[in-house]
Amino acid sequence: MLREDFIFHVRDMNIRRKSFLAAKQMTPENLLRRPRPAPKCTTGCPVLDRCLGGGVPCRSVTEVAAESGCGKTQLCLQLLLSAQLPPSRGGLSASSLYLHSEFPFPLRRLRQLSRARPLGPRHDPLEYIFVHPLQSADHLLDVMPRMESFVENFKSQFPVRLIVIDSIAALFRSEFDNNPLDLKRRSSMFFKISGRLKLLAEKFDLAVVVTNQVVDVVAPNEGINGLRIGNLGCLESSGRRVCAALGLAWANCVNSRLFLSRDEEIVSTVNDMRDECGCERMHCGTRRRLHLLFAPHIPDTSCEYVITREGISGVCR
Amino acid sequence: MEVERLPISAALKGKLVSAGYTSLSLLSSLSPSHLARDLNISENEALDILKYAPHDGRIDTSSGHHVINGAQTAWDMLHEEELLTRITTSSVDIDNILGGGISCGEVTEIGGVPGIGKTQLGIQLAVNVQLPIHCGGLGGKAIYIDTEGSFMVERVLQIAEACRDGMSANNTISQNVHAGQVGMQPKDFLENILYFRVCSYTEQIALINYLEKFISEHRDVKIVVIDSITFHFRQDFEDMALRTRLLSGMALKLMKLAKKFCLAVILLNQVTTKYAGGSFQLTLALGDSWSHACTNRIILYWNGNERYAYIDKSPSLRSASAPYAVTTRGIRNSVSNCKRIKLM
Repeated sequence: MLREDFIFHVRDMNIRRKSFLAAKQMTPENLLRRPRPAPKCTTGCPVLDRCLGGGVPCRSVTEVAAESGCGKTQLCLQLLLSAQLPPSRGGLSASSLYLHSEFPFPLRRLRQLSRARPLGPRHDPLEYIFVHPLQSADHLLDVMPRMESFVENFKSQFPVRLIVIDSIAALFRSEFDNNPLDLKRRSSMFFKISGRLKLLAEKFDLAVVVTNQVVDVVAPNEGINGLRIGNLGCLESSGRRVCAALGLAWANCVNSRLFLSRDEEIVSTVNDMRDECGCERMHCGTRRRLHLLFAPHIPDTSCEYVITREGISGVCR
Repeated sequence: MEVERLPISAALKGKLVSAGYTSLSLLSSLSPSHLARDLNISENEALDILKYAPHDGRIDTSSGHHVINGAQTAWDMLHEEELLTRITTSSVDIDNILGGGISCGEVTEIGGVPGIGKTQLGIQLAVNVQLPIHCGGLGGKAIYIDTEGSFMVERVLQIAEACRDGMSANNTISQNVHAGQVGMQPKDFLENILYFRVCSYTEQIALINYLEKFISEHRDVKIVVIDSITFHFRQDFEDMALRTRLLSGMALKLMKLAKKFCLAVILLNQVTTKYAGGSFQLTLALGDSWSHACTNRIILYWNGNERYAYIDKSPSLRSASAPYAVTTRGIRNSVSNCKRIKLM
């Protein structure tokens, strides 16, 4: 049974009032850490994992940018399930939080994926996924303290170690106009949200995945004043030049950015078959590619993938 | 008061006089380590001597020399500047436009768009500072202050491994092998990076205030990298005047740190767009007032499919840009065919 509106679930629990942010005495000496490798959460496909250096890293914010229909949400749902795998199989033995701003929640597809990727005989994966709707950016900031409390206080064999926000772009769609003042206010909110997510990720060793949309790009992105961000000079999807939404400010707020693209292309021609007007028959298919735009630990890579009933899987060609 | 009348050993007196210190007033603005180096004695002995040097600000004209306490001659300053050492970036082209590498005793700001290689350069420098002097390092340790969560251990180990391989290649050519440096493994490089994780602007300020004490207890630290200096300050501050005060306080502290301990301070900064001259231009974050905070500024940018580093501000270097690449081994020279270093 899916736990929706987990905030109410939180109210049922006897939680401490004090926010974890106003924590114990902080001294600068405590900030010295022994650097340790970040655990990775598998995507559920070894080809994609290889492309991503093992999977989605913890203590880090990873963004997935793509136009609609590329599979961002599918990838997120797949992560909600694979996070529950034990570390020996690439998972985090963890529950996940899924905050969604697009409605309705894709429950049917989640059920389909969980049937295709069973996790154990008496393990109902939906028990370990906590879902909450988001209406706007302000709403997200309102929900954050309760979310932080929940992560801190949820004691279970499967503690929360994955947070997915799907999508961040939708939260900022309507309430900001295109004037400098609003853009500045929007920018400040990016840093506030990202700051809190990163704090949460660091403190509880979580992976944070955020999805983003793409917008059409008209201006050139060459030269010293161009806006090229990442390993690909030019992002293309469905034959159009695009770039990730929310601009340069948001790009500074994420640690890694993945780009999913799709293109209709002619996969094969059917030999000697011509239709009424004498044209050759062609088979069209969708070519899908995952590109790594930037990440602090992985070089420029990309790989092709397909979406099937079982989910998203990479293709080695 | 003449040096000959000091209650110290004759040998020390002899050394003082032959080094040119014929009068005590000449000792008044010296640091113990400087005197120790000059006379080839231990710091303790130097401290004993300096106990007798006048400490107040009075102008001592007893022997005809006019020396104000704390002042330095230009000769001393030139001598000091030559002692300023440099850290290689592992890209010969970038080292060249920097006059040999990143300078110690100065604050260098490095800015660029996400994905251009700021963190990569920061990690490369934190590893390179540990190399022996004949390999372009300083044989020292690094402090890495991570404010964004970009420090990935596996990447540091990868870069360290490439450095270790480079060092052993070097050692087979030259016979100059330091006992302590032989056999430095990637995980040794990681141990020598003192890593701090900062999650809010208050932690960042507290840490920067604490650095002076920390570094005086860890004298082998030769570089401080802050990645990035900007992130926690781009949120909404209800009081912008407070933000400006905090930023300038931070800048001052870091400059003093660089000068006092003669180490390199590297500040990684983000870029933002500024509307100027009728169009949007890329500019470093934190505003115009911050631009006074650093001695040197390097901007990393894309030119076509290549990464370039550009000296934007420097008191001694001319503006120039050089291409570079981020490889699995770290920062290296770009291998493109039409590579060129542009002098502006």
